[in-house]
Amino acid sequence: MLEVEQVCLRPGEDDNAEAVFAHTFAPGEISVVLGANQSGKTDLCRLIAGLNTRARGNVCLDGQSLTGASTRQQAVGMVYQAFVNYPNLTVAENIASPLRARRLSAAQIDERVTDLATRLGIVTLLDRFPHELSGGQQQRLAIARAMAKQARVLLLDEPLVNLDFKLREALEIELRELLHAAGTVVIYTSSDPRDAFSLGDQVLLLDAGHKIQAGAPLEVYTQPASFRAMELLAEPGVNYLQQHGVLCAVRPEHVRVQQIENDAQPLQFNMRVTAYETNGDESFIHGRVEEHDWVVRSSGMMPVAAGDALTLYASAGDVVRF
Amino acid sequence: MKPSASRIILWVYGLYLLLPLYWLLSMALRNNADIVGEFSVFPAAPTLANFQEIFANPVWYEAFLNSLTYVTLNTLISLSVAIPAAYVFSRYRFLGDKQLFFWLLTNRMAPPAVFLLPFFQLYSAIGLFDTPLAVALAHCLFTVPLSVWILEGFFSAVPTELDEMARIDGHSFPYFFFRIFLPINRGAIGVTLFFCFMFSWVELLLARTLTGAETKPIAVVMTRTVSASGLDWGVLAAAGVLTVLPGVLVVWFVRKDLVKGFALGRVS
Repeated sequence: MLEVEQVCLRPGEDDNAEAVFAHTFAPGEISVVLGANQSGKTDLCRLIAGLNTRARGNVCLDGQSLTGASTRQQAVGMVYQAFVNYPNLTVAENIASPLRARRLSAAQIDERVTDLATRLGIVTLLDRFPHELSGGQQQRLAIARAMAKQARVLLLDEPLVNLDFKLREALEIELRELLHAAGTVVIYTSSDPRDAFSLGDQVLLLDAGHKIQAGAPLEVYTQPASFRAMELLAEPGVNYLQQHGVLCAVRPEHVRVQQIENDAQPLQFNMRVTAYETNGDESFIHGRVEEHDWVVRSSGMMPVAAGDALTLYASAGDVVRF
Repeated sequence: MKPSASRIILWVYGLYLLLPLYWLLSMALRNNADIVGEFSVFPAAPTLANFQEIFANPVWYEAFLNSLTYVTLNTLISLSVAIPAAYVFSRYRFLGDKQLFFWLLTNRMAPPAVFLLPFFQLYSAIGLFDTPLAVALAHCLFTVPLSVWILEGFFSAVPTELDEMARIDGHSFPYFFFRIFLPINRGAIGVTLFFCFMFSWVELLLARTLTGAETKPIAVVMTRTVSASGLDWGVLAAAGVLTVLPGVLVVWFVRKDLVKGFALGRVS
């Protein structure tokens, strides 16, 4: 169990009480740290890994406080957003690198390298150099090397963000299995809410250095603590308007263009359509409702064009009031 | 295939550049009578006598050895000082780092002649005069800043994540530096070596002033031969050929990284 306490991701510029938080990451679970760019995800990872960072805080692993950079570095494995591998070592030597540092026997190293390379699908590439691999393969290598160390904490800092989206989806499914099998504390940062649902057992929402909510992804989705928390888990954004001094927010997927069956009293909104986009499977209708930009997400294609007036419906239960 | 105009221009320019080199080689392969005799493009009776003279005469081959000694010393000192310095400049922020880095470059702006007198007087006073180390150290004043400047460009292009990763993997700093970082930058070090070598090899003013009878460098011997027993064109040309050779060899080894080196590593 990894506990972080008294964490302040922006010391000096943001020192007030809400900026300081604590969090517990459980072993055998994937914790997705979700936040926009510059929200402090990387700083949190670097703090836990004992790397140079402006973030401050205490890190405890299984009840033991990890002070000092080197003790923390012993405990973690890390995968960076950029594909970082030793360019002068082959794939096999790269994976073996942390094992060499621990002075394992050659037979043990060989066995571990083959095992990990097989699990990550790079076993046919063992003799190549990193620059001879594709981006996806390079990141698989980086993940293999991080796992080779059998560290008690595995940190993955937006590992798939530089890959194209088909590769991402394929790797994500594999990663879920692989990371669960590792049985360690896994911290996976991302700015994409889909990762929270597809990978995360737990999600921690960060906003501008603040922890704004944590819990199981669906729980956070259904009961957002704040508008910002709701926004972070929404794709592409949250629709909102002020009603009698209350902020009413509803997700794009909960707004309908047709009457909702079995709902006697839906809320109604009038929208002026400004743009319409579709990929055949899904459509996004952008428009304005009372001075606010709204998006409607619905399946299939719609006979809608810019300039149309639409009546939107939403169940009262889907509208969150703050 | 019809040769294009640009290709022809390229060939003509190439020939123009190679002409003096060819003429040097051609002179080195003739005897004096042939050189001052009738004009001919190819040597009438090619001879290796000039080269034999150089390898047989201690004045000549010792001068070559003298030059090679201080050039090698200079290159070794420059690299062993500049590699750690460039690493620090590329990895750490400290008070006045940018100013110090720029000040290094300004050292290159001063002409060597400025330092002639202080070096001469200082080295004479402390007994360094007329040793290979004297020239090597004097040349370091120019090659160390240049080396730091080139290497820093290359080193900065290596992501710092690599340093961190090696630490997380459990490697010590010396292991990372010598087994990973330096091998990655092999090309950069080759290019730097080339620049140090060439500067020290062709520099005449300091080398001549700081050496006496014991450690006379090749460039000095070449200029003095003019007044010795008339003018031995052939031997002089042969010495010239041998002086060009080390540079050619070094260029051959670092040719792949040379362009990047001229851009001081700031090419991705």
